[in-house]
Amino acid sequence: MGAKLPPSGLFLNDKGEWKHAGFNHPFVVALDYAPNDPTTLYLAAGNGLFRAAKRGEEWTQLTGSDVTELRDLAIDPTDAKTIYFAYSHGIRVTRNGGESWEELATTLHRRYTEAIRVDRTQAKRIVIGGEEGIFRSENGGKTWTIAGASGFQILRIEQSPHNACDWLATTQGGGLFASHDCAKSFENSGRIGVGRDLYSISFDPTNPLRIAIGGWGPGVAVSDDGGKSWQERNQGLPRPDVWSVIFDPEHAGRLYASVQEERLYVSDDAGLHWRAAGLEGSVAWRMKFIP
Amino acid sequence: MAHEVHPMRYVVLVSLLFALHVNAGVPDFKERADAMIDAYAHYEGKGDYGYAEIAARLKRHEQPEWCSKKLEELLAAGPTGDMFWMYPVTAIAYLDQGQLSDSARQALRRVWKTYMPYRGDTENHFLLYYSCLYLMAQYWPDAGPESWFNGKTSQANMEEARQWIEGWVKLTTTRGQGEYDSPHYMGVYLLPMSYLAAWAKDPAMKKRAEMMLEYLIADYAPENLDGLFVGAHARIYEEQLLERWNGVSTDFGWLWFGLGHPLKVPANYALYYVLASAFEPPELLKRIATDRSKPYTHYERKRTRNRWRFYDDLHGPVYKTTYVRREYAVSSDQGGALQPIQEHSWDVTWHVPDAEGVQNTFFFNHPYSSMKELQTFFVFPPDGAIEGIIKSKKTYDSPEKLLGGSAYEKIGQDQDALVALYNIPAGTRFPHINGFFSKDLKELTEDASGWIFMRGGDATYLACRPLQPYEWKPMGESKRLFSPYLQNGVVVQAAAASEFPNLAAFSKAIKALPLEFETAPTPRVKFRSLRGTLIEFTYGKAPILNGKAIDYENWPLFGGPFLQADVDSETLTMTYGNHRRTLDFKRLTVTSN
Repeated sequence: MGAKLPPSGLFLNDKGEWKHAGFNHPFVVALDYAPNDPTTLYLAAGNGLFRAAKRGEEWTQLTGSDVTELRDLAIDPTDAKTIYFAYSHGIRVTRNGGESWEELATTLHRRYTEAIRVDRTQAKRIVIGGEEGIFRSENGGKTWTIAGASGFQILRIEQSPHNACDWLATTQGGGLFASHDCAKSFENSGRIGVGRDLYSISFDPTNPLRIAIGGWGPGVAVSDDGGKSWQERNQGLPRPDVWSVIFDPEHAGRLYASVQEERLYVSDDAGLHWRAAGLEGSVAWRMKFIP
Repeated sequence: MAHEVHPMRYVVLVSLLFALHVNAGVPDFKERADAMIDAYAHYEGKGDYGYAEIAARLKRHEQPEWCSKKLEELLAAGPTGDMFWMYPVTAIAYLDQGQLSDSARQALRRVWKTYMPYRGDTENHFLLYYSCLYLMAQYWPDAGPESWFNGKTSQANMEEARQWIEGWVKLTTTRGQGEYDSPHYMGVYLLPMSYLAAWAKDPAMKKRAEMMLEYLIADYAPENLDGLFVGAHARIYEEQLLERWNGVSTDFGWLWFGLGHPLKVPANYALYYVLASAFEPPELLKRIATDRSKPYTHYERKRTRNRWRFYDDLHGPVYKTTYVRREYAVSSDQGGALQPIQEHSWDVTWHVPDAEGVQNTFFFNHPYSSMKELQTFFVFPPDGAIEGIIKSKKTYDSPEKLLGGSAYEKIGQDQDALVALYNIPAGTRFPHINGFFSKDLKELTEDASGWIFMRGGDATYLACRPLQPYEWKPMGESKRLFSPYLQNGVVVQAAAASEFPNLAAFSKAIKALPLEFETAPTPRVKFRSLRGTLIEFTYGKAPILNGKAIDYENWPLFGGPFLQADVDSETLTMTYGNHRRTLDFKRLTVTSN
């Protein structure tokens, strides 16, 4: 009947204790929430897109049989009913809170999409990463223009919380790509991660010059100069294979990292020293602070 | 005036003909089905069979108190297995028929709220998930969103499931299955169709499922030899790859046609099949499955699994050729990475009186292990993927592996002659090919000509000509041909032993056949087969048979003497002698003459 899987899905930490919320589900890979209601989470998962109300406890599947194996999602910060997600065969958007969906990838040469973000200052600007690079739309996904990293598979895209025109994207094998022109173009950003795979980006909300990335090989790498140079900070981590990193918005320099099937680690000095932070044996695909 | 056959007399004659094939001493269909149920209902070993034993006993209307108690225990322990959990509990719900206690029934209801089955990532997963969801939503038709794990109403769940199931039927009857001809997973397609045929209330859904059962059985019937499902396969497990008897298809070959004999404990897919509709194939299909009096070539078009990356089309075509005669079968697809991990692209399988424990199969492969392959078919991130795969598919990244297709293998076949060519780029992981030489091959002779001759069983002679030097590697009682060359290939010719006085005469005949080949810069073979066909095959090009390139564009969905279907037709015609039976999925009709 299949092996009993360890607990999986959504885990919340409130006041230092990890708590499993909602259902076991092995492929919850991304989450987001609307600024006006952070108690309702949205989950990109194997079965589809879920609305997880009451801080993740009450799940409702918002998609049907026509989409599977979701990879990422993003909520329009100006309209909580507009939700985008990337999945195995394209990009979908709802503009009515999940009652109906529209496919946005029909004009892309290859539809597989791994990463998606909505520009927090320009809601019609959507930036996606897929099999063939980074693409940008200025009209809510109606049309797409290549924006960089052509030929590389994109693994993650993030927008700086400090400067809305600064973006970073990570790739499979191609390293890090940066945009400083509002996602119009992305250029390779040095040697960090080249030949390996970078899965995560976190801009430090408390320090505009500090950025962390996580990946397999580089582990955790931190830049203190806005991405000009990078330092691998893995001392104290059991292996340099990291799925996700995130800075704590309320504690300057506090950085979390999920290490492959080890546990979550936390550093209070931006990665110089690490200590265990729970979730033994886990893989945390994505982490997010919820107000 | 022309002689007229009275219709009634005609029917009587047909029935007599059909009856002749039944093997003396083989129990009839109902007895075979009953024995499968009894194997679970009356299990007397240690422990129990869990849900399967509950379902079998409910079917027999035996020990309802035990069934209730056991069901509550299992549900309290927590469901596991996702969509593979859904099918036993769905059967239990429909087999209950008032036997379970209220408490057990309530526990069963609660768990559909508290447990979220993963829908999975492949065709069989989805079909199980949606067939069971459909039936359980039908079972509780008025349940609201608060009653279901996914927060949808019964009505919404049923509609979503109906749409997916109908879409699957349409895709299968127009472009073929993606997870085609699996000797293991065939059970996972038969089972949900059996459920819907038995328990769906909607007459159209019920009829569609009944027709699909016939369709799926027809898909197997011409490609079996003594009940063994001969290659090529989208998915097969290694136990059954080498010992063709050792798997689910054996149970169904026995159940439907009385071929071979069942596994000691029948696969639970077969159990649930008989617990639901227990559909017995029509006589025409029984004849197709068992008549091997004349050699024939059967053609099928299937499709690849969903290709999420690296291809412009979600599905690519798979072209299958299967030559079958009483003594052996030769089967292939066109080669390439058509499926991940468990593809099996060609083989020769020979008749033996009892296949249990016998490795009656022969084939080569390139052991292809590739992140690109995995990322084509799965959404895996690049790191940890192969490590994750080998937790369950242990040989995936092994140079010795015999399982799996390769992007660098191309195959051409005409009747019982086959050419496999390999063009492996430098730097490829595992730059060699493997050939499986079974312990059950006899009189193996490495001839100075470069041909290898051997006998499979008492009735089959085999010849193979590796195109490059090789060495032998031990493999238990069997052995593996190892040839470490990037440009490589093998020519295979099978024949019935009855066609020659002895193996030496067969060898002499093979050596007399014109054969030219080169491996560089591109592997190429020109071979006049034993049947007189000139096969010209260059890696990367369509094989040319007697001067004419194989016409892949017009390859039928089914073709050959027994099954006929055009691509996109949504129909299947089954033919045996003068008898025809047509399934029309557009009209949901079955017509026979």
